[in-house]
Amino acid sequence: MRDLPGLFDVRVKARSLAYLFAAGASLGLLTLAFPHTEEIRDLPLVILAAVAYAIAAAIWALADRVRDWQLHAVLACGTVIISLANYYAGASTLYPILYTWTALYGFYFFPIREALAQMVFLALAYAVVLAVQDAGMVVVDWLLAVGTPAVAGLLISRLLRGIQHHALELRESEERTRLVLDTAPDAFITLDRDGCIITWNAAAERMFGWTREEAVGQKMRELIMPPEHADRHDERRQALVDRNDPLATETYEVELVRRDGRRFPGEATVSRVEERGEVFASGFITDTTERLRRQAEREALLREQAARAEAERVAEMVSGMQALVDAALAHRTLEGILRDLVTQVRGVLAADAAAIYLADEGGRLSAGASSPGGGAVGHEFAIWVAESGEAMLAQADALIGVPLLADDEVIGVLVAGAEPPREFGGEDLTLLRLAGERVGLAIAHARVYEREHRIAETLQRSLLPDRLPDLPGLEVAARYLPAASEAEVGGDWYDVIPIAGGAVGLVMGDVAGKGLAGASMVGRLRSALRAYVLEGHDGGRVVERLNRLLWTEAEESQMATMLYLIVDPAASTVRWVNAGHPPPLVMSRGEARFLEGPGSVPLGVLPFPTYEEATARLDPGDALLLYTDGLIERPGEHLDSGLELLRATVRDAPDNPQGLLDHLLATLVPAGGAADDVALLTLFNLPVPEKFSAEFPAEPESLAPIRSMLRRWLAHAGADDIEIAEITTACGEAATNAIEHAGTSNGAPFEVSGQREGSLVEIAVHDQGSWRSEREDDHGRGLELMRTLMDTVAVQPGEQGTTVSLRRRLGQREGDAS
Amino acid sequence: MSDLTQVEIEQKDDVVVARLTGELDISVAESTGRKIAEAVPSSARGVVVDMSGLEFMDSSGVSMLFGLARQVGSHRQQLVVVAPEGRPVSRVLQIVEFDRAAPVREDVDSAVTAIATPQT
Repeated sequence: MRDLPGLFDVRVKARSLAYLFAAGASLGLLTLAFPHTEEIRDLPLVILAAVAYAIAAAIWALADRVRDWQLHAVLACGTVIISLANYYAGASTLYPILYTWTALYGFYFFPIREALAQMVFLALAYAVVLAVQDAGMVVVDWLLAVGTPAVAGLLISRLLRGIQHHALELRESEERTRLVLDTAPDAFITLDRDGCIITWNAAAERMFGWTREEAVGQKMRELIMPPEHADRHDERRQALVDRNDPLATETYEVELVRRDGRRFPGEATVSRVEERGEVFASGFITDTTERLRRQAEREALLREQAARAEAERVAEMVSGMQALVDAALAHRTLEGILRDLVTQVRGVLAADAAAIYLADEGGRLSAGASSPGGGAVGHEFAIWVAESGEAMLAQADALIGVPLLADDEVIGVLVAGAEPPREFGGEDLTLLRLAGERVGLAIAHARVYEREHRIAETLQRSLLPDRLPDLPGLEVAARYLPAASEAEVGGDWYDVIPIAGGAVGLVMGDVAGKGLAGASMVGRLRSALRAYVLEGHDGGRVVERLNRLLWTEAEESQMATMLYLIVDPAASTVRWVNAGHPPPLVMSRGEARFLEGPGSVPLGVLPFPTYEEATARLDPGDALLLYTDGLIERPGEHLDSGLELLRATVRDAPDNPQGLLDHLLATLVPAGGAADDVALLTLFNLPVPEKFSAEFPAEPESLAPIRSMLRRWLAHAGADDIEIAEITTACGEAATNAIEHAGTSNGAPFEVSGQREGSLVEIAVHDQGSWRSEREDDHGRGLELMRTLMDTVAVQPGEQGTTVSLRRRLGQREGDAS
Repeated sequence: MSDLTQVEIEQKDDVVVARLTGELDISVAESTGRKIAEAVPSSARGVVVDMSGLEFMDSSGVSMLFGLARQVGSHRQQLVVVAPEGRPVSRVLQIVEFDRAAPVREDVDSAVTAIATPQT
């Protein structure tokens, strides 16, 4: 059984006991005042009453300091006094009823066991009284006197415990509620019907600065509401109360006033409480200052984050767009622009593939460039985009396309594609739209430029020899590399012109004008030069005439540098005229040297300059290199260093025409192309063999090369000019016969071979036709010439065709003999 | 490639001078002969074929000259060939005895004079 804590404090117990003693004493004295039996001895009873008064007074006085055991002792004293009163009053009196007082007090104020102990003491005390009195019915008297207070005490005790228990629970519950309310962070306030405060918890004290005592009973509207909101508060409260809904709850934001007058924002959650027909309003009030501050902070943070994200997005878009525009502007060639663009688009859009389609004059789209693996991304889509003229998405945002515009015309379409999960969106569209216009312009410019470049290059190429002539004993090769950038194409030219008598003219020139104007001037100079050469003028006169042409006919002060070389393989010489051009290079026996000589001004500078020819050896095995300044000019470098670099490069180059030129271009032309046109021409004077054998097509055009070959070979064999001319004439006759025989040999080629032993040279012409002694209209003159000019002429017809063998010993001409 | 032989026509009084340069072989002989013949009007007294600038001539050139000689002769016109001694062309003309068909002179002036002065 749980021990309940004492309901009463010791002071209450002490004073109650004092009342009890005083009341008992007074009652005892009162009985003496009324008529009573003689048996009763008055004096002892008066003394007892006096003792009781004294004890009552003592306890009252010491009520604050008295202890529980002292109260027990005093109660026991009370029992003794009652017992003494019983003894002195005699058996007939009803004094035992007084025991009830003791019992009731004991059971009321003490725990039940202590009360029972008092009862036992009481029972013993009375038993002693009865035994001393020796009256009749002792047992009955004892039972009645002891049993009555015991039963009454037990009943009181039980009743008291119930009340006590209930009160305790109530008190605990209240305390808990109060504890909860007091520790709650929110103010809890209850109002009565009139708006007066009933409840005011600790949080409310803290929040508003009013203590519970101060607040309770005040009208809330006057205590914590700003005056201007007070009426509104009343209306709300009244509306809530009148709603007659037991579950009605309202939450609203309010402004509140602290005791010090400071105002703060709050949130009130108000409920309607109905109890025993009385309607209250109870509410929690939260100080939302902090919450609002945090909320404001969070909102500010979110706004800042959003602003930053927006700024980053814009920055990214701008930089993406810039990357695309840069790609478009970084190159001057269309191909470069397109190639770089698709790469950049892939990067900027995080796309898997990108492609650019260009519209031709008719508006048809064709592939311009595509990223690696791009293939033909969305050709259909591109057509669609071009037709709509708008940037758009397609295929569930896997494709994005934008028209490239120039002067409001669609000149192409840029398309990019992505694999899931990448999807294109509105921002990508915006970016492409922005870039599209600028990129379109760049492409348009590049196309215009490229068109002019292409025309100039086409014209230029048309002016250069399609193929270089086959020159017996000589090997030539040439390269023309148009300028990579700027409209610098045009202006360089070279030519190889066979000259009567077996020589060959080499031309390398550079007209100062570029583009179409330069190219057309090249055309005029080139045909004029060919005409002058064929007219048989020597080198100096050829160049002087060209100067005259440029001086008189060029629209503005146009000028050109030029080299004209005449290579005579038979004489192993080179003659050259230099009109302000970088000097030609001779490669001889592993060394390279420039042909410096009587240089003169470029063409078109003076009306009548003199151009002189210079001569140098060009032995079999030697080679020549002609070039334009595009090969040697380096920005910021002196021309001499370019020349020296060229010389060094040539020394290490392969010893064959094609290999030499490839090596020079690879070594001296920067990657991405030269700034200016580069033209290269080389001539190798091949070593002359002791024996030769060559096949020629059976046509009249073969005769000139055969003569060139023979002249060179004969010169090397030691023949003088007359011998060369005569033997060449004789062999020409034999070769002419062979060509005439082509009709009987189905056009099969014929062979010319030569060998010598000492001064004896033997040349054989072998064809696959059948011999006829006379050609049409020839009257045998061919054979006559052969026989006259050679020592022996042998004609050997056979199954396999005809062989004409011609022999002559050098140095034994008739004139010499005589 | 351009023609192997170039023909330059010049009128000196009533004589046509055809100056040949380059090389004359079977590839160009016929066309060269035609060019010269066409350049000679019927009013001209004769034609001088100047071969001093020619680097080479073979029998087909000789045939062309013989044909030209016949042709101008039939128009009562004269042909004179210029081929200086020591030049390759001169040697060929000597071998085929071209001077039986038409006179061969050392220079253009004497050739023109030869035409202007009727032979006895």
